Amino acid sequence: MKPSTWKYILGEAGRGIKKNTLMSVAAVTTVTLSLLTLALVLLLVFNFNHLAGTLESQMQVVAYLDDNLPAPRVAELDAQIKAIEGVSEVAYVTKAEALERLKAEFGVDSDILAAVEDMNPLRDSFEIAAADPEQISAIAGQVAELAGVAEVNYGQEILELLLSLTSVIRYGGAALLVAFILATVMIIANAIRMTVVARRREVAIMKLVGATDALIRWPFLLEGVLLGLAGAVVTAALVWAGYSWVVGAMQRSLPFVPIVAEWQPILLVLALLIVGGVVIGAVGSTISIRRFLRV
Amino acid sequence: MIHIKHVSKIYYPRRVVALQDINVRIRPGEFVFLVGASGAGKSTFLKLLYREELPSEGQLLIGGKDVARLRQRDVPYLRRRIGIIFQDFKLLPDRTVFENVAFALRVTEASPKEIRRRVPTVLEMVGLAEKERHYPSQLSGGEQQRVGLARALVNRPPLILADEPTGNLDPQTSLEIMALLEQINRMGATVVMATHASNIVDMFRKRVIALDRGRIVRDQERGVYSNEAKHLEVHPG
Repeated sequence: MKPSTWKYILGEAGRGIKKNTLMSVAAVTTVTLSLLTLALVLLLVFNFNHLAGTLESQMQVVAYLDDNLPAPRVAELDAQIKAIEGVSEVAYVTKAEALERLKAEFGVDSDILAAVEDMNPLRDSFEIAAADPEQISAIAGQVAELAGVAEVNYGQEILELLLSLTSVIRYGGAALLVAFILATVMIIANAIRMTVVARRREVAIMKLVGATDALIRWPFLLEGVLLGLAGAVVTAALVWAGYSWVVGAMQRSLPFVPIVAEWQPILLVLALLIVGGVVIGAVGSTISIRRFLRV
Repeated sequence: MIHIKHVSKIYYPRRVVALQDINVRIRPGEFVFLVGASGAGKSTFLKLLYREELPSEGQLLIGGKDVARLRQRDVPYLRRRIGIIFQDFKLLPDRTVFENVAFALRVTEASPKEIRRRVPTVLEMVGLAEKERHYPSQLSGGEQQRVGLARALVNRPPLILADEPTGNLDPQTSLEIMALLEQINRMGATVVMATHASNIVDMFRKRVIALDRGRIVRDQERGVYSNEAKHLEVHPG
């Protein structure tokens, strides 16, 4: 079709949107809500994956030793651990050193530790770093087998918690998203249905004067796409502003929490929003065109 | 121009026979009145021609092409070569006279320049040059029908179909519309007009095809409305 025809089609689509202002506003609003859910889920998943990755890279195995282990055995253990494949660094931390560290962490509140000063309840330990975070659990398993090692800890609980939280967000978010998208598609379909009904007469006349089916359908399809796109643009603006604010606030008050602040994943989210809005709009109007537009 | 061979039309599911074994030949440039009581099949006759309905039997050729065999996607191109006028005008109430006429051109993807050139020309021809910015509700019935006529003419179709075009108009206005139709006919278009208006048919003395319960009961050159015509001359099919 010629550019002038497209201009005409676009004008007709705009006419449909203006005529049904209330329905159009409702459609744009629901598109925005659905897409905000999509954006929220995506950003949370991105951030949790990022957080899990960061934690994983910082993880080390801590092997707590039996009390009063003789020094030769400690030296032997040191050698045995260093011999395990994938171990990159091994450091021996006495329980006295551990207590000092704890004191440092508590800072001004270190007084409360004075009570346990004499009977230090901590244990001697080895801190073992892995060359590759993936090998952490394998290394931990082998260290736990060694005689004289009482307990092994490598932060598996936190990591597992984080991973299960991520999957909850992923699946819960996906379910919520599907429900929202279905509702949005239905609302767009309804908006287009109203336009189709309002234009029955016009469509009949178009057919009489020789309009092709494509020319009759396009304005309705485009109307849905424009509604979806409008919702997407609103959402993209909200997400951009909202997320920039969150990143800024986090970096100021919780600088140690790794938040995704690179532009690449954020642009990906924004692009997905636009595509999502257009697809939702197109699907919604196609439903109504098929059901109500007799061409 | 039009060649109808043994065409019947039965409306299902109630098996209403609207037309039965119709045989008609209409030559280019003819002006034909289609007369008959309500329900005689006049509207169905026209609907078959612009392919709003398909014949149940028979062949219906326009310009040598079988309209019934036309593929669905070619129907719009047939319609662009037929100008149709209705009793109720079928104008869009929320668009100006100009837009109502331009509508038929936009559909054919005419360029904006073409539209700006042709719409005023055709409005001038039907005598509405001054009213292109008016809305249909601001016009009289006769003026609305002129808009309908302008819309039918703007694509310069070789065939004009009119379904009771004067049905809603007073006698004086009816004559004005008739004068326009006759003018278009003189310019070369074939006109087929279904009508109840006996005075008009009697006055213009064109070919008359009379339908009764779906059959052609009279086909007369320079005919009159009523069956009691003196010289009844059956036109060969």
